[in-house]
Amino acid sequence: MIEIRNVSKKFKKGWYALKDINLSIAKGDFLFLTGQTGSGKTTLLRIIYMDIFPDEGEAAVAGFLSSTIKEEEIPFLRRRIGIIFQDFKLLKDKTIYENVAFALEVTGQSGRKMREKVMKALTLVGLSHKRNDFPYTLSGGEQQKTAIARALVREPFILLADEPTGNIDPEGSEDIIKILQEVNTAGTAVLMATHDVVLAKKMGGNFIHLEQGQIVAE
Amino acid sequence: MFSIREALIGLRRNGVMTFIAIGIMFFSLFLFGAFLWGTFNLFGVIRLAREKVEINAFLRENLPEKQIEELSDKLMSMVGVDGVEYISKEEALGKFQEEIKDAPSLIEAVKTNPLPASFSIRLKDGYTSPKEVKEISEKIKIFDEFIAVEYGESWINKLDKVVKILFLFDILLGIVISFASVFVISNTVRLTVLARKTTIEVMKLVGATEKTIHAPFILAGSIEGGVAGIMSGGLLYLIYQLSSKFFVKFYFPHNLIIIGTVIFGIVLGMIGSKLAVKSTSKEMKFETTNV
Repeated sequence: MIEIRNVSKKFKKGWYALKDINLSIAKGDFLFLTGQTGSGKTTLLRIIYMDIFPDEGEAAVAGFLSSTIKEEEIPFLRRRIGIIFQDFKLLKDKTIYENVAFALEVTGQSGRKMREKVMKALTLVGLSHKRNDFPYTLSGGEQQKTAIARALVREPFILLADEPTGNIDPEGSEDIIKILQEVNTAGTAVLMATHDVVLAKKMGGNFIHLEQGQIVAE
Repeated sequence: MFSIREALIGLRRNGVMTFIAIGIMFFSLFLFGAFLWGTFNLFGVIRLAREKVEINAFLRENLPEKQIEELSDKLMSMVGVDGVEYISKEEALGKFQEEIKDAPSLIEAVKTNPLPASFSIRLKDGYTSPKEVKEISEKIKIFDEFIAVEYGESWINKLDKVVKILFLFDILLGIVISFASVFVISNTVRLTVLARKTTIEVMKLVGATEKTIHAPFILAGSIEGGVAGIMSGGLLYLIYQLSSKFFVKFYFPHNLIIIGTVIFGIVLGMIGSKLAVKSTSKEMKFETTNV
Protein backbone atom coordinates (compact mmCIF):
# COMPACT_ATOMS: atom_id res chain seq x y z
CA MET A 1 0.00 0.00 0.00
CA ILE A 2 2.94 2.30 0.66
CA GLU A 3 6.28 1.76 -1.00
CA ILE A 4 9.16 4.13 -0.39
CA ARG A 5 11.97 3.37 -2.82
CA ASN A 6 15.45 4.91 -2.47
CA VAL A 7 13.98 8.21 -1.39
CA SER A 8 16.26 11.15 -0.63
CA LYS A 9 15.19 14.69 0.18
CA LYS A 10 17.63 17.56 0.22
CA PHE A 11 16.98 20.85 1.91
CA LYS A 12 19.10 23.97 1.48
CA LYS A 13 22.88 23.79 1.21
CA GLY A 14 22.81 20.16 0.16
CA TRP A 15 21.79 19.01 3.61
CA TYR A 16 19.89 15.71 3.43
CA ALA A 17 16.73 15.49 5.52
CA LEU A 18 16.29 11.95 4.19
CA LYS A 19 18.87 9.77 2.50
CA ASP A 20 18.17 6.60 0.55
CA ILE A 21 15.11 5.48 2.48
CA ASN A 22 13.42 2.18 1.62
CA LEU A 23 10.24 1.29 3.41
CA SER A 24 7.16 -0.77 2.81
CA ILE A 25 3.92 -0.55 4.77
CA ALA A 26 1.17 -3.09 4.22
CA LYS A 27 -2.49 -3.20 5.25
CA GLY A 28 -2.89 -3.59 9.01
CA ASP A 29 0.71 -2.68 9.94
CA PHE A 30 1.46 -0.63 13.06
CA LEU A 31 4.77 1.09 12.79
CA PHE A 32 6.54 3.57 15.05
CA LEU A 33 8.87 6.00 13.32
CA THR A 34 11.29 7.08 16.01
CA GLY A 35 14.19 9.47 16.04
CA GLN A 36 15.32 12.69 17.56
CA THR A 37 14.08 16.09 16.46
CA GLY A 38 15.56 16.80 13.04
CA SER A 39 16.05 13.17 12.12
CA GLY A 40 13.63 13.34 9.16
CA LYS A 41 10.42 11.79 10.55
CA THR A 42 8.12 14.63 9.51
CA THR A 43 9.83 14.88 6.12
CA LEU A 44 9.07 11.21 5.49
CA LEU A 45 5.42 11.65 6.47
CA ARG A 46 5.12 14.75 4.26
CA ILE A 47 6.47 12.74 1.34
CA ILE A 48 3.84 10.06 2.00
CA TYR A 49 0.94 12.54 1.97
CA MET A 50 2.68 14.38 -0.88
CA ASP A 51 3.03 17.80 0.68
CA ILE A 52 6.62 17.68 -0.59
CA PHE A 53 8.29 15.42 -3.15
CA PRO A 54 11.52 13.40 -3.09
CA ASP A 55 14.59 14.71 -4.90
CA GLU A 56 15.68 11.14 -5.59
CA GLY A 57 13.71 7.90 -5.55
CA GLU A 58 9.96 7.49 -5.53
CA ALA A 59 7.02 7.06 -3.17
CA ALA A 60 4.03 4.94 -4.17
CA VAL A 61 0.96 5.54 -2.01
CA ALA A 62 -2.43 3.91 -2.70
CA GLY A 63 -1.65 3.66 -6.37
CA PHE A 64 -0.37 7.25 -6.72
CA LEU A 65 3.29 7.76 -7.64
CA SER A 66 5.19 10.78 -6.36
CA SER A 67 6.93 11.08 -9.72
CA THR A 68 3.78 11.27 -11.82
CA ILE A 69 0.98 12.54 -9.57
CA LYS A 70 -0.73 15.71 -10.82
CA GLU A 71 -1.53 18.58 -8.49
CA GLU A 72 -5.27 18.09 -8.92
CA GLU A 73 -4.95 14.42 -7.95
CA ILE A 74 -3.45 15.16 -4.53
CA PRO A 75 -6.87 15.75 -2.84
CA PHE A 76 -7.92 12.27 -3.96
CA LEU A 77 -4.80 10.75 -2.40
CA ARG A 78 -5.47 12.65 0.83
CA ARG A 79 -8.99 11.20 0.98
CA ARG A 80 -7.42 7.74 1.25
CA ILE A 81 -5.18 8.61 4.19
CA GLY A 82 -5.84 10.07 7.62
CA ILE A 83 -3.37 12.56 9.10
CA ILE A 84 -2.99 13.89 12.63
CA PHE A 85 -0.52 16.44 13.96
CA GLN A 86 1.04 17.51 17.21
CA ASP A 87 -0.96 20.77 17.12
CA PHE A 88 -4.27 18.99 16.29
CA LYS A 89 -5.22 21.52 13.57
CA LEU A 90 -8.82 21.78 14.67
CA LEU A 91 -11.06 24.63 13.56
CA LYS A 92 -11.69 26.88 16.55
CA ASP A 93 -14.94 28.24 15.15
CA LYS A 94 -16.51 24.80 14.79
CA THR A 95 -17.88 22.37 17.34
CA ILE A 96 -16.36 18.92 17.81
CA TYR A 97 -19.10 17.40 15.66
CA GLU A 98 -18.63 20.02 12.94
CA ASN A 99 -14.85 19.53 12.94
CA VAL A 100 -15.30 15.84 12.21
CA ALA A 101 -18.19 16.31 9.78
CA PHE A 102 -16.09 18.89 7.91
CA ALA A 103 -13.88 16.11 6.50
CA LEU A 104 -16.92 14.58 4.81
CA GLU A 105 -18.68 17.79 3.85
CA VAL A 106 -15.77 19.11 1.80
CA THR A 107 -16.22 16.12 -0.49
CA GLY A 108 -19.93 16.72 -0.86
CA GLN A 109 -21.30 14.28 1.70
CA SER A 110 -24.33 15.20 3.79
CA GLY A 111 -27.48 13.82 5.33
CA ARG A 112 -28.21 10.91 7.61
CA LYS A 113 -25.41 8.70 6.34
CA MET A 114 -22.85 11.39 7.08
CA ARG A 115 -24.25 12.00 10.56
CA GLU A 116 -24.02 8.30 11.31
CA LYS A 117 -20.40 8.15 10.19
CA VAL A 118 -19.48 11.19 12.30
CA MET A 119 -21.18 9.79 15.40
CA LYS A 120 -19.49 6.42 14.85
CA ALA A 121 -16.06 8.08 14.69
CA LEU A 122 -16.78 10.21 17.77
CA THR A 123 -18.00 7.16 19.68
CA LEU A 124 -14.83 5.29 18.73
CA VAL A 125 -12.66 7.94 20.38
CA GLY A 126 -15.12 8.34 23.29
CA LEU A 127 -16.19 11.91 22.58
CA SER A 128 -19.79 11.61 21.39
CA HIS A 129 -21.00 13.33 24.56
CA LYS A 130 -18.88 16.40 23.78
CA ARG A 131 -20.01 16.77 20.19
CA ASN A 132 -21.51 20.23 20.74
CA ASP A 133 -18.49 21.64 22.58
CA PHE A 134 -15.89 23.87 20.99
CA PRO A 135 -12.23 22.72 20.85
CA TYR A 136 -10.96 25.35 23.31
CA THR A 137 -13.10 23.81 26.08
CA LEU A 138 -11.40 20.42 25.65
CA SER A 139 -8.13 19.07 27.07
CA GLY A 140 -5.16 18.42 24.76
CA GLY A 141 -5.88 14.69 24.78
CA GLU A 142 -9.52 15.26 23.87
CA GLN A 143 -8.56 17.61 21.07
CA GLN A 144 -6.21 15.00 19.65
CA LYS A 145 -8.99 12.40 19.88
CA THR A 146 -11.19 14.78 17.86
CA ALA A 147 -8.43 15.02 15.26
CA ILE A 148 -8.25 11.21 15.19
CA ALA A 149 -12.02 10.99 14.70
CA ARG A 150 -11.74 13.47 11.83
CA ALA A 151 -8.94 11.42 10.27
CA LEU A 152 -10.87 8.17 10.64
CA VAL A 153 -14.29 9.33 9.50
CA ARG A 154 -13.23 8.90 5.88
CA GLU A 155 -12.21 5.28 6.63
CA PRO A 156 -8.63 5.66 5.40
CA PHE A 157 -6.36 2.68 4.78
CA ILE A 158 -3.61 4.30 6.85
CA LEU A 159 -3.39 6.83 9.65
CA LEU A 160 -0.28 9.02 9.66
CA ALA A 161 0.42 10.50 13.09
CA ASP A 162 3.10 13.16 13.44
CA GLU A 163 4.11 13.42 17.11
CA PRO A 164 0.46 12.98 18.18
CA THR A 165 1.40 12.90 21.85
CA GLY A 166 3.81 15.84 21.71
CA ASN A 167 1.43 18.27 23.40
CA ILE A 168 -0.22 15.80 25.76
CA ASP A 169 0.63 14.61 29.29
CA PRO A 170 1.96 11.00 29.73
CA GLU A 171 -1.40 9.54 30.78
CA GLY A 172 -3.18 11.16 27.89
CA SER A 173 -0.39 9.95 25.58
CA GLU A 174 -0.96 6.32 26.45
CA ASP A 175 -4.67 6.87 25.95
CA ILE A 176 -4.03 8.19 22.44
CA ILE A 177 -1.76 5.29 21.57
CA LYS A 178 -4.34 2.82 22.85
CA ILE A 179 -6.92 4.37 20.53
CA LEU A 180 -4.45 4.13 17.65
CA GLN A 181 -3.92 0.45 18.50
CA GLU A 182 -7.68 -0.14 18.48
CA VAL A 183 -7.90 1.58 15.13
CA ASN A 184 -5.13 -0.69 13.92
CA THR A 185 -6.88 -3.80 15.21
CA ALA A 186 -9.92 -2.76 13.17
CA GLY A 187 -7.73 -2.95 10.05
CA THR A 188 -6.28 0.52 9.50
CA ALA A 189 -2.51 0.72 9.17
CA VAL A 190 -0.85 3.24 11.51
CA LEU A 191 2.45 5.05 11.02
CA MET A 192 3.28 7.09 14.09
CA ALA A 193 6.26 9.41 14.25
CA THR A 194 7.56 10.13 17.74
CA HIS A 195 10.78 11.22 19.37
CA ASP A 196 9.74 9.29 22.48
CA VAL A 197 11.54 5.96 21.96
CA VAL A 198 10.72 4.83 25.50
CA LEU A 199 6.99 5.26 24.92
CA ALA A 200 7.20 3.43 21.57
CA LYS A 201 9.02 0.49 23.13
CA LYS A 202 6.62 0.40 26.06
CA MET A 203 3.59 0.24 23.78
CA GLY A 204 5.17 -2.53 21.69
CA GLY A 205 5.00 -2.96 17.93
CA ASN A 206 7.49 -2.57 15.13
CA PHE A 207 9.61 0.51 14.82
CA ILE A 208 11.99 2.18 12.48
CA HIS A 209 14.63 4.43 13.94
CA LEU A 210 15.88 7.41 11.96
CA GLU A 211 19.11 9.27 12.54
CA GLN A 212 20.18 12.17 10.35
CA GLY A 213 17.79 11.14 7.62
CA GLN A 214 18.84 7.50 7.49
CA ILE A 215 17.25 4.33 8.84
CA VAL A 216 19.60 2.94 11.47
CA ALA A 217 17.42 0.29 13.07
CA GLU A 218 14.30 -1.71 12.17
CA MET B 1 -24.84 24.05 -0.38
CA PHE B 2 -21.67 23.33 1.62
CA SER B 3 -20.06 26.50 0.26
CA ILE B 4 -23.03 28.70 1.17
CA ARG B 5 -23.24 27.31 4.70
CA GLU B 6 -19.49 27.50 5.18
CA ALA B 7 -19.42 31.11 3.97
CA LEU B 8 -22.24 32.14 6.30
CA ILE B 9 -20.81 30.28 9.32
CA GLY B 10 -17.40 31.81 8.62
CA LEU B 11 -18.84 35.32 8.47
CA ARG B 12 -20.92 34.86 11.62
CA ARG B 13 -18.38 33.13 13.84
CA ASN B 14 -15.54 35.45 12.82
CA GLY B 15 -17.84 38.37 13.58
CA VAL B 16 -15.20 40.92 14.57
CA MET B 17 -13.15 40.32 11.44
CA THR B 18 -16.29 40.43 9.29
CA PHE B 19 -17.36 43.68 10.96
CA ILE B 20 -13.95 45.31 10.41
CA ALA B 21 -13.80 44.13 6.80
CA ILE B 22 -17.26 45.42 5.98
CA GLY B 23 -16.45 48.70 7.76
CA ILE B 24 -13.28 49.28 5.74
CA MET B 25 -14.98 48.28 2.49
CA PHE B 26 -17.89 50.57 3.34
CA PHE B 27 -15.58 53.60 3.62
CA SER B 28 -13.81 52.79 0.35
CA LEU B 29 -17.07 52.23 -1.51
CA PHE B 30 -18.59 55.37 0.01
CA LEU B 31 -15.68 57.39 -1.36
CA PHE B 32 -16.07 55.70 -4.72
CA GLY B 33 -19.84 56.32 -4.77
CA ALA B 34 -19.37 59.95 -3.71
CA PHE B 35 -16.93 60.37 -6.56
CA LEU B 36 -19.42 58.87 -9.03
CA TRP B 37 -22.11 61.16 -7.72
CA GLY B 38 -19.83 64.18 -7.93
CA THR B 39 -18.88 63.27 -11.50
CA PHE B 40 -22.51 63.01 -12.61
CA ASN B 41 -23.22 66.44 -11.13
CA LEU B 42 -20.09 67.96 -12.62
CA PHE B 43 -21.06 66.74 -16.07
CA GLY B 44 -24.59 68.01 -15.47
CA VAL B 45 -23.24 71.50 -14.74
CA ILE B 46 -20.95 71.38 -17.77
CA ARG B 47 -23.88 70.35 -19.93
CA LEU B 48 -26.00 73.22 -18.65
CA ALA B 49 -23.19 75.68 -19.34
CA ARG B 50 -22.71 74.32 -22.84
CA GLU B 51 -26.42 74.61 -23.56
CA LYS B 52 -26.01 78.33 -23.03
CA VAL B 53 -23.59 78.58 -25.92
CA GLU B 54 -25.36 80.40 -28.77
CA ILE B 55 -24.62 82.56 -31.80
CA ASN B 56 -26.31 85.91 -32.28
CA ALA B 57 -26.63 87.09 -35.89
CA PHE B 58 -27.84 90.69 -36.33
CA LEU B 59 -29.93 91.55 -39.37
CA ARG B 60 -29.91 94.55 -41.66
CA GLU B 61 -32.80 97.01 -41.34
CA ASN B 62 -36.10 96.57 -43.19
CA LEU B 63 -35.77 93.05 -44.55
CA PRO B 64 -39.01 91.60 -45.93
CA GLU B 65 -40.67 89.01 -43.73
CA LYS B 66 -40.43 86.34 -46.44
CA GLN B 67 -36.66 86.80 -46.66
CA ILE B 68 -36.36 86.45 -42.89
CA GLU B 69 -38.34 83.21 -42.99
CA GLU B 70 -36.15 81.81 -45.76
CA LEU B 71 -33.07 82.80 -43.82
CA SER B 72 -34.39 81.05 -40.72
CA ASP B 73 -34.91 77.84 -42.75
CA LYS B 74 -31.40 78.10 -44.19
CA LEU B 75 -29.90 78.48 -40.71
CA MET B 76 -31.91 75.52 -39.40
CA SER B 77 -30.58 73.30 -42.17
CA MET B 78 -26.95 74.02 -41.22
CA VAL B 79 -24.93 71.22 -39.63
CA GLY B 80 -24.71 71.61 -35.84
CA VAL B 81 -27.66 73.99 -35.48
CA ASP B 82 -30.23 72.85 -32.95
CA GLY B 83 -32.70 75.73 -33.02
CA VAL B 84 -33.19 79.24 -34.34
CA GLU B 85 -35.11 82.02 -32.63
CA TYR B 86 -36.02 85.29 -34.35
CA ILE B 87 -35.85 88.36 -32.14
CA SER B 88 -37.54 91.40 -33.70
CA LYS B 89 -36.36 94.99 -33.13
CA GLU B 90 -39.21 95.49 -30.66
CA GLU B 91 -38.37 92.38 -28.70
CA ALA B 92 -34.73 93.40 -28.58
CA LEU B 93 -35.68 96.80 -27.21
CA GLY B 94 -38.03 95.21 -24.66
CA LYS B 95 -35.24 92.97 -23.45
CA PHE B 96 -32.82 95.87 -23.31
CA GLN B 97 -35.24 97.99 -21.32
CA GLU B 98 -35.81 95.10 -18.95
CA GLU B 99 -32.06 94.84 -18.40
CA ILE B 100 -31.61 98.52 -17.64
CA LYS B 101 -34.82 99.03 -15.69
CA ASP B 102 -32.82 100.20 -12.66
CA ALA B 103 -31.63 103.21 -14.62
CA PRO B 104 -34.85 105.05 -15.71
CA SER B 105 -32.92 108.02 -17.03
CA LEU B 106 -31.25 105.74 -19.58
CA ILE B 107 -34.61 104.42 -20.74
CA GLU B 108 -35.85 107.93 -21.24
CA ALA B 109 -32.75 108.74 -23.27
CA VAL B 110 -33.63 106.04 -25.77
CA LYS B 111 -36.15 107.83 -27.92
CA THR B 112 -35.87 105.72 -31.05
CA ASN B 113 -35.04 102.02 -31.35
CA PRO B 114 -31.40 101.62 -32.37
CA LEU B 115 -31.35 97.86 -31.87
CA PRO B 116 -31.33 95.53 -34.88
CA ALA B 117 -33.48 92.41 -35.25
CA SER B 118 -31.48 89.21 -34.80
CA PHE B 119 -31.41 85.45 -34.84
CA SER B 120 -30.41 83.58 -31.69
CA ILE B 121 -28.94 80.25 -32.85
CA ARG B 122 -28.64 77.33 -30.42
CA LEU B 123 -26.13 74.59 -31.18
CA LYS B 124 -26.37 70.84 -30.84
CA ASP B 125 -24.34 68.83 -28.27
CA GLY B 126 -20.88 68.24 -29.67
CA TYR B 127 -20.87 71.53 -31.64
CA THR B 128 -20.15 73.83 -28.73
CA SER B 129 -16.36 73.73 -28.69
CA PRO B 130 -14.62 77.04 -29.59
CA LYS B 131 -13.50 75.60 -32.94
CA GLU B 132 -16.95 74.39 -33.99
CA VAL B 133 -18.70 77.58 -32.87
CA LYS B 134 -16.22 79.68 -34.80
CA GLU B 135 -16.65 77.57 -37.93
CA ILE B 136 -20.44 77.80 -37.79
CA SER B 137 -20.39 81.58 -37.24
CA GLU B 138 -17.99 81.99 -40.19
CA LYS B 139 -20.52 80.16 -42.34
CA ILE B 140 -23.34 82.39 -41.06
CA LYS B 141 -21.33 85.54 -41.83
CA ILE B 142 -21.43 84.63 -45.53
CA PHE B 143 -25.11 85.63 -45.71
CA ASP B 144 -25.44 89.25 -46.86
CA GLU B 145 -28.49 89.81 -44.66
CA PHE B 146 -26.36 89.95 -41.51
CA ILE B 147 -24.48 93.01 -40.37
CA ALA B 148 -22.71 91.23 -37.52
CA VAL B 149 -22.32 87.75 -36.01
CA GLU B 150 -21.28 87.32 -32.38
CA TYR B 151 -20.85 84.33 -30.11
CA GLY B 152 -18.97 85.48 -27.01
CA GLU B 153 -15.63 84.12 -28.13
CA SER B 154 -13.70 84.80 -24.94
CA TRP B 155 -16.44 83.31 -22.74
CA ILE B 156 -16.54 80.10 -24.82
CA ASN B 157 -12.76 79.81 -24.72
CA LYS B 158 -12.79 80.17 -20.92
CA LEU B 159 -15.59 77.63 -20.55
CA ASP B 160 -13.69 75.20 -22.73
CA LYS B 161 -10.54 75.57 -20.61
CA VAL B 162 -12.46 75.13 -17.35
CA VAL B 163 -14.21 72.03 -18.71
CA LYS B 164 -10.92 70.52 -19.84
CA ILE B 165 -9.28 71.14 -16.45
CA LEU B 166 -12.28 69.77 -14.55
CA PHE B 167 -12.41 66.75 -16.82
CA LEU B 168 -8.72 66.01 -16.33
CA PHE B 169 -8.99 66.51 -12.58
CA ASP B 170 -12.03 64.24 -12.44
CA ILE B 171 -10.27 61.48 -14.37
CA LEU B 172 -7.18 61.72 -12.16
CA LEU B 173 -9.30 61.67 -9.01
CA GLY B 174 -11.28 58.76 -10.43
CA ILE B 175 -8.10 56.79 -11.09
CA VAL B 176 -6.75 57.51 -7.60
CA ILE B 177 -10.03 56.59 -5.87
CA SER B 178 -10.55 53.46 -7.97
CA PHE B 179 -7.01 52.24 -7.34
CA ALA B 180 -7.25 53.06 -3.65
CA SER B 181 -10.56 51.17 -3.40
CA VAL B 182 -9.17 48.15 -5.24
CA PHE B 183 -6.05 48.19 -3.08
CA VAL B 184 -7.83 48.65 0.25
CA ILE B 185 -10.61 46.19 -0.46
CA SER B 186 -8.40 43.45 -1.89
CA ASN B 187 -6.04 43.74 1.07
CA THR B 188 -8.90 43.72 3.56
CA VAL B 189 -10.33 40.60 1.97
CA ARG B 190 -6.85 39.11 1.96
CA LEU B 191 -6.60 39.67 5.71
CA THR B 192 -9.95 37.96 6.31
CA VAL B 193 -8.77 35.01 4.25
CA LEU B 194 -5.44 34.85 6.07
CA ALA B 195 -7.26 34.98 9.42
CA ARG B 196 -8.89 31.72 8.40
CA LYS B 197 -5.73 30.12 7.07
CA THR B 198 -6.25 27.05 9.29
CA THR B 199 -9.55 26.39 7.53
CA ILE B 200 -7.73 26.26 4.19
CA GLU B 201 -5.06 24.05 5.74
CA VAL B 202 -7.63 21.61 7.14
CA MET B 203 -9.52 21.56 3.86
CA LYS B 204 -6.34 20.55 2.05
CA LEU B 205 -5.60 18.01 4.75
CA VAL B 206 -8.91 16.19 4.35
CA GLY B 207 -8.77 16.15 0.57
CA ALA B 208 -10.87 19.11 -0.59
CA THR B 209 -10.31 20.13 -4.20
CA GLU B 210 -9.13 23.68 -4.95
CA LYS B 211 -12.62 24.56 -6.22
CA THR B 212 -14.22 23.47 -2.94
CA ILE B 213 -11.59 25.42 -0.97
CA HIS B 214 -12.11 28.61 -2.99
CA ALA B 215 -15.92 28.67 -3.13
CA PRO B 216 -16.82 29.63 0.49
CA PHE B 217 -14.16 32.36 0.59
CA ILE B 218 -15.24 33.86 -2.71
CA LEU B 219 -18.83 33.80 -1.56
CA ALA B 220 -17.95 35.38 1.80
CA GLY B 221 -15.91 38.09 0.04
CA SER B 222 -18.81 38.85 -2.30
CA ILE B 223 -21.25 39.04 0.60
CA GLU B 224 -18.96 41.42 2.51
CA GLY B 225 -18.49 43.58 -0.60
CA GLY B 226 -22.22 43.54 -1.35
CA VAL B 227 -23.22 44.50 2.19
CA ALA B 228 -20.63 47.29 2.24
CA GLY B 229 -21.90 48.45 -1.17
CA ILE B 230 -25.52 48.54 -0.01
CA MET B 231 -24.50 50.48 3.10
CA SER B 232 -22.51 53.08 1.19
CA GLY B 233 -25.17 53.40 -1.52
CA GLY B 234 -27.75 53.81 1.25
CA LEU B 235 -25.73 56.49 3.01
CA LEU B 236 -25.24 58.41 -0.24
CA TYR B 237 -28.99 58.24 -0.86
CA LEU B 238 -29.65 59.51 2.66
CA ILE B 239 -27.25 62.41 2.12
CA TYR B 240 -29.02 63.17 -1.16
CA GLN B 241 -32.41 63.16 0.59
CA LEU B 242 -31.24 65.41 3.43
CA SER B 243 -29.49 67.75 1.03
CA SER B 244 -32.63 67.99 -1.16
CA LYS B 245 -34.70 68.82 1.89
CA PHE B 246 -32.47 71.33 3.60
CA PHE B 247 -29.84 72.48 1.12
CA VAL B 248 -29.59 71.90 -2.65
CA LYS B 249 -31.29 69.34 -4.83
CA PHE B 250 -28.43 67.58 -6.56
CA TYR B 251 -28.80 65.29 -9.51
CA PHE B 252 -28.80 61.70 -8.15
CA PRO B 253 -29.12 58.84 -10.64
CA HIS B 254 -30.20 56.15 -8.13
CA ASN B 255 -29.59 53.16 -10.34
CA LEU B 256 -26.13 54.14 -11.42
CA ILE B 257 -24.83 55.19 -8.00
CA ILE B 258 -26.45 52.61 -5.71
CA ILE B 259 -26.22 49.66 -8.08
CA GLY B 260 -22.77 50.88 -9.15
CA THR B 261 -21.35 50.81 -5.61
CA VAL B 262 -23.01 47.47 -4.82
CA ILE B 263 -21.69 45.82 -7.98
CA PHE B 264 -18.24 47.37 -7.50
CA GLY B 265 -18.23 46.02 -3.92
CA ILE B 266 -19.33 42.53 -4.93
CA VAL B 267 -16.85 42.33 -7.80
CA LEU B 268 -13.94 43.58 -5.70
CA GLY B 269 -14.87 41.28 -2.80
CA MET B 270 -15.11 38.36 -5.18
CA ILE B 271 -11.89 39.01 -7.09
CA GLY B 272 -9.97 39.98 -3.94
CA SER B 273 -10.95 36.81 -2.09
CA LYS B 274 -10.39 34.63 -5.15
CA LEU B 275 -6.83 35.93 -5.54
CA ALA B 276 -6.15 35.73 -1.79
CA VAL B 277 -7.44 32.20 -1.30
CA LYS B 278 -5.77 31.01 -4.49
CA SER B 279 -2.32 32.28 -3.52
CA THR B 280 -2.71 31.21 0.14
CA SER B 281 -3.78 27.72 -0.85
CA LYS B 282 -1.14 27.34 -3.55
CA GLU B 283 1.76 28.46 -1.40
CA MET B 284 0.58 26.53 1.64
CA LYS B 285 2.69 23.74 3.01
CA PHE B 286 1.52 22.17 6.22
CA GLU B 287 2.86 24.28 9.01
CA THR B 288 5.07 22.17 11.15
CA THR B 289 8.18 22.80 13.12
CA ASN B 290 9.20 19.17 12.82
CA VAL B 291 11.67 17.78 10.27
